[in-house]
Amino acid sequence: MSDDQARLGELWRIRNAAAATLALCEEQMQRAVREASVEQLVSMIETFSPARSTGPEWTRTFEPLIERLWAWRDADTMAALAEVFHARGMPWMAVANALSPDQGALLQANLRHPAWARLPAFALT
Amino acid sequence: MVQVQGAATVDRLRDEIQGVRYRDATTTFCRLVAEEDRPLKDMIQEAIGAAAPYVQVPSHLMRLPSGEMRGVNYDHTILGWRGAISLMGELGGKRGILPNIQAMWYVPQGLNVWEQVVCEFPGHYARDGEQCNRQFPGPDEHVNRFDGPAWKPPKIYFRDHDPIEDGSVEDRLIRMNWAISEGDKAEAYGLFLGLAKDPGARTRLKDAILFAGITDLQDTIINRGGYQNIGHKALRARALVDIADYLGWDNAHDLIYTVVPDLGCSPRLYGLWTEISNICRMEIPKHAEIPKRSDKPLTERELDILTEAIVWGGPFDVNSAIMGFFKRGAGILDVGDAVMVCFQRYLIDVLEHPNAFLHPTHALDYMNVVQSWTRGYDNPHQVKAVFMGARFMNDTIRSNAIYPRDPKTALEPRWNYRTWADGIAIDQLLGVLKRHVLAQDAPRSCALVDSYLERTTERHDLLDTITYAACHWQNDPHVMRNCSSSLEEYRHNRTSRRDDIIRGYVKHQARYVKRALTHDCYQVFAEHFQPADA
Repeated sequence: MSDDQARLGELWRIRNAAAATLALCEEQMQRAVREASVEQLVSMIETFSPARSTGPEWTRTFEPLIERLWAWRDADTMAALAEVFHARGMPWMAVANALSPDQGALLQANLRHPAWARLPAFALT
Repeated sequence: MVQVQGAATVDRLRDEIQGVRYRDATTTFCRLVAEEDRPLKDMIQEAIGAAAPYVQVPSHLMRLPSGEMRGVNYDHTILGWRGAISLMGELGGKRGILPNIQAMWYVPQGLNVWEQVVCEFPGHYARDGEQCNRQFPGPDEHVNRFDGPAWKPPKIYFRDHDPIEDGSVEDRLIRMNWAISEGDKAEAYGLFLGLAKDPGARTRLKDAILFAGITDLQDTIINRGGYQNIGHKALRARALVDIADYLGWDNAHDLIYTVVPDLGCSPRLYGLWTEISNICRMEIPKHAEIPKRSDKPLTERELDILTEAIVWGGPFDVNSAIMGFFKRGAGILDVGDAVMVCFQRYLIDVLEHPNAFLHPTHALDYMNVVQSWTRGYDNPHQVKAVFMGARFMNDTIRSNAIYPRDPKTALEPRWNYRTWADGIAIDQLLGVLKRHVLAQDAPRSCALVDSYLERTTERHDLLDTITYAACHWQNDPHVMRNCSSSLEEYRHNRTSRRDDIIRGYVKHQARYVKRALTHDCYQVFAEHFQPADA
């Protein structure tokens, strides 16, 4: 076995270990999101405002969060969230649009979950 | 053609500019050049002179009655001329006149910015950004009185001064930079006027004013509101140097009056300059000896690392990456070229919202000033300017990223149209591209450019097509400025990825928010100059 071949194998093992850790984390997140009240989810989403965000690295995870909300919460909850942010007007328009039913339908239609995969192909960052 | 009453004269042009009658002023400008055979250069000088007393502001920060501060925009009239003069040679012939007509169209709309932002004078800031007519409508509800004409003369905030000529050149250059950094506009302006008279001091003077502009740059725009300059000090300095070279320095008094006082205007921001100076002193104490070019330009892997740092990393990632390249022997322009192409991935892959192009492309234009300064002058601080440009780019990307992305402004992927683009005959493609840039259809425009770049090595006509289409859009000197920056950087870039500058360029020009969706200014140009495509 060449050095390059060995390195490929090692990298794949490292990647698999990271994926297993991430899968466990996603399962914890899924439980927390399913158990959260609308108020708790509103508070979570509010942390993505420019004034409260801890930085671009945090805000860039807005869409991965929205993807998971559409995957793990029911339509009534999503409608309640959309109503809260829509009522806040222009500064929150991007958030309200991300919570709109047509955006939800688009995300759900495009979320790939092959039979062999433990989780759907969520966005990472 | 609309028949205009009365002779076209320079006095009339001046009155129309100062009266914010931009359509009339543009027509008069065209008539002077096309019918009266007045040299375009002379008319540009006259137009600059008519606007010069009215483009200064007391400060770029306005304290509100509440005690909070708001930003006051920078003069853009001179930036339009700089872009136009640069593009004249790029487009050539009658088509090359179009950017100048666009610059002229903008000038009357860009006077008295301080009054515009408080709705006391017409112009594009009052009409568009501040929406003044909603707050202070005129008697006719169908007329936006902030579109002009003016109901009072524009105000002069900084009167002309005499040259200061005492002392050696060296002494006066030092005093001038000190005056700019301390905000002594009169001293800085007087010294510049005196130095500008001496052809023997000219190169040093140009170097000094570019240095002054480049070093005045905010460290971040994130949540800073108006407490920034988004590179405008550097952009103004570059405009001064280029236009003075075009007009001739003996004819540059009004141009100098337009530009130099503002270099010392508040706020003056040296936080980033200080940070970069400190890290260079600590890590590369012999940075002044780094060559412009080396035999060790960035590798493909290093270009990937720099892209990652600029587009997805933080400020210290950018510092670290660039520091590494200089420490291992790369030249100033090697790294500057790399910064320019790595930034393009943000334009090409990430940007979607039309409004979100504004700050990042100011950073691109600032980096163009840095690169042109490095190419044209010898200054021991040029290594630091490369850090400044890259940090500015990274900061604008981070500033955009701190807002959640709006899915309603998502763009279709360009590759959805690649098969369609590949099916268009190469000799037809540029005509199709022009139509799609004018339609602001970014996915198809980008797919067409991707296809063209892979099918031919021809680049001149491609750049010409994008540029000419872009110059159809009115009311916005940013367009011409970015065109000239992109073309200049493409020509000089020595990286393997320089075609990415074209990919980013077409995305910008096919997507960036437009201040008007009509082409009235182009029509005025076409009526008077009859370009072949009209």
